[in-house]
Amino acid sequence: MNKDLKILIVDDFSTMRRIIKNLLRELGFNNTSEADDGQTALPMLKTGKFDFLVTDWNMPGMDGLALLKSVRADPNLSNMPVLMVTAEAKREQIVIAAGAGVNGYVVKPFTAITLNEKIEKIFNRLEK
Amino acid sequence: MNNEDKPEVVEITYLTQAYMNRLQSLNSAIESKDEETIINIVGELTTLRESSLYQELGMLTREIHDSITNFGNDERIAQLANEDIPDAKERLNFIVTKTDEAAHRTMTAAEETMTVMDGLSVEADAMRKRWSQFRNRELSKTEFILLSDEITQFFESVGLQGSTVNSQMTEIMLAQDYQDITGQMIKQVVTMVKEVEEKLVRLVAISGLADVPAAVKKEEAKVSNGEKAEGPQLPSADKEVVASSQGDVDDLLASLGF
Repeated sequence: MNKDLKILIVDDFSTMRRIIKNLLRELGFNNTSEADDGQTALPMLKTGKFDFLVTDWNMPGMDGLALLKSVRADPNLSNMPVLMVTAEAKREQIVIAAGAGVNGYVVKPFTAITLNEKIEKIFNRLEK
Repeated sequence: MNNEDKPEVVEITYLTQAYMNRLQSLNSAIESKDEETIINIVGELTTLRESSLYQELGMLTREIHDSITNFGNDERIAQLANEDIPDAKERLNFIVTKTDEAAHRTMTAAEETMTVMDGLSVEADAMRKRWSQFRNRELSKTEFILLSDEITQFFESVGLQGSTVNSQMTEIMLAQDYQDITGQMIKQVVTMVKEVEEKLVRLVAISGLADVPAAVKKEEAKVSNGEKAEGPQLPSADKEVVASSQGDVDDLLASLGF
């Protein structure tokens, strides 16, 4: 897996962004940026040449599902792999996220192993 | 139950007696074809029926009035609304700030420790390579003197870095002091919420909504829109609705062809 991937981490809680950033660094991904909601994230995605999006769902402004839909609707971004890391654990919601085109879904609280596993799975599938 | 029924039984007997008296008079008036008395007695019977209805209604009105007055006079409710609830909001906001601070403090200490440990392991690795060169007699005398100096410095640095790591660990431990204070505050808020709940239950009972089946009310309140984020679910949440672990999520996604 290419460890130089440029990754955008979107979460309204700075502690959670920091945890994800640290875990990604542990996994060898050092090229990360942060945004605190979809509204901030979307312009960054459009201009920042990101390879991978890790987003929370429940955020003020534009939430993660709306961000995911915007990404899928934008011809320049529609192929970007998206991993949702969220506390939203209702089956109905997971089905909706899957329908909206999410590539992986991690429920909080999560472990470094889970995060690594899901990221690897996403990229293995994309490489096929 | 029996105690509650008794006054009603007494009243029925009293009423029955009153009706029986009128009916006996009515009977004799009919026999004697006394039209005026018949009309009077029928009038009396109607009044008797109406007055007992009004009496019941009056008693009910009094009960409701008393309940509402007592509820309104409960100073505790005003205190809850004016002081306790704003106070609870402040406490909860304080908890958010406090836990946020603690998380950042902990992560800063952990990050600094990781940097120190990374540095040490890089240094040790370089030193190990030079050391095995020395053991294989691959180093010149000058190179060995240089290595010997580096080793001395490394020992000193390990001692210093060790105490840095130690103080970072102490910092991490101290950062956990939020648990005590926020735990106490959360308990205070829970006590307050419980009191408000009791008052609300009383209010619902007074307004007569208590008869609405609890399940129906819950159902009405919980009409949810799947696209809306709802935040974390309790561990006790309904397993049919909520995926309780990452394993559940993975199974669900696998069933959708992921």
